[in-house]
Amino acid sequence: MIASDKELPTGSLALRRISKSFPGVRAVDNVSLDFYPGKIHALMGENGAGKSTVMKLITGIYQPDSGEMSFNGKRLAPRSYRESLAMGIDIVHQEIQVVPDASVAENIMLDKLSLVSTGGLVNWRRLYEEASAFMQEVGLDLPPSTVVRQLSAAHKQLIQIARALAARATVILLDEPTSSLSLNEADNLFKLFDGLKKRDVTLIYVSHKIEEVYRIADTISVMRDGKLIGTRTSAELERRELVRMMIGRDLREQRIGPSEVNERRIVLKVEALTKARKCRAISFELHEGEILGFYGLVGSGRTEFARVLIGEDQADSGLVYVNGKKAAINRVSDALFRYKIGYVTENRKEEGLFLDDSVLTNLTLLVWNKMRHPLTRAISRKKEQEAAGKMVSALSVRTRSLADLVANLSGGNQQKISIGRWLLADCDILIIDEPTVGVDVGAKEQIHQLIWNLARLERKAIILISSEMAEVIRLSSRILIFADQQIIGEVTRLDDEERSYRKVRDEIGNLLSAIH
Amino acid sequence: MQETELRPKPTETAPDFSKTSKRFRGGRALGLLIGTVVLFGAIALVSDTFLKPYTMFIIARQIAFSILIALSQAVCLVVGGMNLSVGAIGSMATVILGLCFQELKLNAWLAVPITLIFGVVSGAINGLIITRLRINSFIVTLSLMFVYMGLRSGISGGSPYIIPQDFGFIGQNAIFGVSWIFVLVCLILLATGYMFSYTVFGRHMLATGGNENAARLCGIATDAIVFRAHVISGLLAALAAVLWASMIGSCAPETGDSWLIGSFAVSIIGGTGLNGGVISIAGIFLGGAIFVLINYGLIEIKANPYFANSFLGALILLAIVLDRIREIVGESKHKS
Repeated sequence: MIASDKELPTGSLALRRISKSFPGVRAVDNVSLDFYPGKIHALMGENGAGKSTVMKLITGIYQPDSGEMSFNGKRLAPRSYRESLAMGIDIVHQEIQVVPDASVAENIMLDKLSLVSTGGLVNWRRLYEEASAFMQEVGLDLPPSTVVRQLSAAHKQLIQIARALAARATVILLDEPTSSLSLNEADNLFKLFDGLKKRDVTLIYVSHKIEEVYRIADTISVMRDGKLIGTRTSAELERRELVRMMIGRDLREQRIGPSEVNERRIVLKVEALTKARKCRAISFELHEGEILGFYGLVGSGRTEFARVLIGEDQADSGLVYVNGKKAAINRVSDALFRYKIGYVTENRKEEGLFLDDSVLTNLTLLVWNKMRHPLTRAISRKKEQEAAGKMVSALSVRTRSLADLVANLSGGNQQKISIGRWLLADCDILIIDEPTVGVDVGAKEQIHQLIWNLARLERKAIILISSEMAEVIRLSSRILIFADQQIIGEVTRLDDEERSYRKVRDEIGNLLSAIH
Repeated sequence: MQETELRPKPTETAPDFSKTSKRFRGGRALGLLIGTVVLFGAIALVSDTFLKPYTMFIIARQIAFSILIALSQAVCLVVGGMNLSVGAIGSMATVILGLCFQELKLNAWLAVPITLIFGVVSGAINGLIITRLRINSFIVTLSLMFVYMGLRSGISGGSPYIIPQDFGFIGQNAIFGVSWIFVLVCLILLATGYMFSYTVFGRHMLATGGNENAARLCGIATDAIVFRAHVISGLLAALAAVLWASMIGSCAPETGDSWLIGSFAVSIIGGTGLNGGVISIAGIFLGGAIFVLINYGLIEIKANPYFANSFLGALILLAIVLDRIREIVGESKHKS
């Protein structure tokens, strides 16, 4: 069993050398962590660092490939979420999970309705009484019969926590619980956490918000690329050091190469593009041969802006010029066929690929129109295979045949296909959203090289949206910083030899911390 | 997923580009073919009248109807929706055709196009409500099913309309011993196959059904695709009604009452994906044949006709369960 058990206070949760792999990615790599009762322990890291996977391993949603977990001195190996819940470990997900048309009380007591029932009938008075106790505890000042649908996100978040308490959870995992809350609501939540600490509840807290973590966490652990980088008490961890741990210093931070931007050719010019709750007064210019990085946190308005630009969402106001001419983009086909703007989506599985379709179809569907026989209107199989075959070789996609289903390829190869599709369509402007999420290191390098070649050699203009700072700095010739649906700053001259990675990183950090 | 990952890198072989999209799932079509042959042989063994030319003529005509009605359903399934009003549109179309003949004394050259236009309009109504108001196709077509069924009963009062005698030409005659309807439906089926395999519109339909969000972000006008699928569906249902009237020699308002379950049975047995994006033309043909042969076989063995629906339901379930088992087996193979 776990060697250091004796030293752990009762009620502690310990992970020892836990690893978990998915095809092509080592999501959690030899991670050891200790969580103590009455403490708030924050898990931090960039997207894809492995935090969520750790949470899912603890709560039995996934099972580790190797390593051990213990809870309260006993071995912990939940095979399902139900099992972890039975041991008193519960998770509050980032997406709010409530039954909207049921009452607050029912939502809190959802899995315990049988306890307040007699002969199969729910005893409503008892249900309301018991639920009220938990509602009081989390500070929900409402009649227990209130229907959940009409409540705010903050209330729903509290209901989820009350549900965890009702389940007698002594370990509660919180996945970005403040992401849909206002500052005031978040404050109330933090007060609740103080109360829970006093009752010796273990809180494990995943968040991207640095301010917030310093405010509430006792201990901070940082993960990167599936590995644990370090665990410190928040009092002794300097903010700069935390950022350094999260972003890392390794090969990736070297510039991929000097860029060659043609400043005189403005391919895309955006003026004060605005859409309510999506993006605010976005203005910038994009040049031929340029990779323009969009850096910011999830929800900062980068993807939202891209979707407005390509016509998937309609702008409330603002102007777009393509090659100096005013452009009217009302739908995605306008962006693609009239203005040659392509958008590689961030969720390739949900919004990018046709998983149950062949590599061939996934690559060629944008250019079918150009492959038709003039009389029969039939898409030429031969032309289709030629085009797809060339792209597969050019991007070195590893597939046995063009007929293979895309679902059976690795993440990196899938990503190459979702980019390759837009290359076949001969787009001049490419927006590439989070190109290397869920992709292994080797494929990541290839995709970086590909993006760089597109700008440098093929003279495309590229907007690179990424939440990974190292990636943005490595590839971009210029970076726009997004926060709160607007551009809050610009970092230029990334090619400058004098400017080290560290300087650029600090500059971005200063811009971001100025607004928080 | 791991097959591509585990392959040793240096010996990376050139991809084999000779194979194309496996739209027609070979394994399934073969299974259906075997099923059809076995059924055919079994019925031929127990029945003296089965192999007679007239029986074959009738069987072929029934297969044609089941294919046509299934196609009307399948075009909606392919784009990720469904059309529960297939039979109701058929009923209503029958009544309109009857009114054109009996009350308005129109000739077939006017009556048939008017009926087909009704099919197009009813499909367009389905499509418009689904795409404009973003309402689930299940709810929309279910409601309109009842609307049309009520209308046809109210208007017709339940009694059939008399139609001109010579209108039965297509429905009752044969060319070289093969029913005209069978020939016509086979042509429609081939055209549909061509559409899904070779035309941009057909492949856009498949893409829309496969992943509507991705399709829209690829510049495909997914709403227009769904709309047109419903228009085609309505048109095919109305066409089936016209041919049905031609076959039985009158416009019976109850036409179409049994179409809905058949349209799903044949589509599903034929391998049309219930989540959209997958259709097999060979599958629909063989599915139609199996459907008709089983019904015929049940009569032949003098099964109680009151139980017929139970057999049908069980058959649909069996087709779905077999597919699911194959999926699960396929997944576990991938993992190993």
